[in-house]
Amino acid sequence: MKTEDLIDALSADVAPVPRYALSRRLLGGLVLGGAVTLLAVAGFLGFRPDLWLAMHGAMFWIKWFYTGSLALCASLATARLGRPDAGAAGWLWIACVPVVGLMIISIQELASVPSSQWLGMWLGASWKVCSKNVFLLSVPIFAGLLWSFRRLAPTRLRLAGATAGLTAGAWGATLYCLHCPESSAVFVLTWYSLGIALAALVGAMLGPRLMRW
Amino acid sequence: MLRGLGGDGAAHGQLLRALVPVLRGFYRRRMAGRDDDIEDLLQETLIAVHERRASYDVTRPFTSWLFAVARYKMIDHFRKSGRTCAIDGLEDILEAEGFTKASDAAADIDRLLDTIPPKQAAAIRAIRLEGLSTAEAASQLKLGESDIKVSVHRGLKALASKVRDSLK
Repeated sequence: MKTEDLIDALSADVAPVPRYALSRRLLGGLVLGGAVTLLAVAGFLGFRPDLWLAMHGAMFWIKWFYTGSLALCASLATARLGRPDAGAAGWLWIACVPVVGLMIISIQELASVPSSQWLGMWLGASWKVCSKNVFLLSVPIFAGLLWSFRRLAPTRLRLAGATAGLTAGAWGATLYCLHCPESSAVFVLTWYSLGIALAALVGAMLGPRLMRW
Repeated sequence: MLRGLGGDGAAHGQLLRALVPVLRGFYRRRMAGRDDDIEDLLQETLIAVHERRASYDVTRPFTSWLFAVARYKMIDHFRKSGRTCAIDGLEDILEAEGFTKASDAAADIDRLLDTIPPKQAAAIRAIRLEGLSTAEAASQLKLGESDIKVSVHRGLKALASKVRDSLK
């Protein structure tokens, strides 16, 4: 095919690109995936029965703040990695702040109770399924992000994949909070983070394959 | 680019047309002598510029975006072509390999022939390496036919014993 013909063909269909096209596209993927995840939480897991009550307590908001701020930082980093000339993802460093914050809260929490209760707090009642659920709930969001990336141009595929996985995992965990009745910081720090990290790891493995363009 | 993003097809075409020499120069500097690849890559990059134009941030310089896309496409191209070696280049590669082998062998032979008397060496070259008949070799070297035969025979014998010695 001659280059000239190609250019004619390409400029024949030029849909206008809105000002914040990249952010909109990513948001679209996130919302679509998030909706599926929310339905999965509602349908398969069910919201925690004491949700309204829990919303008056501090722990619910600490959990939400932890996963939500992680999700926000990861989303912003993902948006930067969707551009080909992206710099280093500074938002990923900021994402360390909530992790460190929750660590401090966990240590305080552990220090305030006798050590015989530590194991119970750490394992809670659902440690066997928590990470798995967080990971599974991240899958629809990750798929949504992959759809978004089809119009974006990441050049560091592994990092972009990992960050997309982190975003999906953190949003998945945020929605999982609506179900999970656990209320200890050290539980969240361990098992939520494990699920989120797993999502990021899988994202890093899939990124170079699925995000090529 | 900005008007193209606004949906102006003509401006978009103008932009793509203007990019052709820029990109061609970019790839020529990096992949000299592979003109077919350069044209393929050029077209792929134009398609990418078109399809992925939403990833351009209007507040940042256009060239850095463009060259990031071009660089990515080049690396991707190398990755692909690294996996599947083009078959049309194969003959050249084989010929080149044959040449090295032959030239190594020739150097060995030259070195060995230098160690025997020049008359025997010349006779062996003429008969065994160049493939002349005894009569042709005799007239070329201005020697008798039997002299040639004897020289070849003695020369080969001397070479054989030298090779044997060197292998001991």
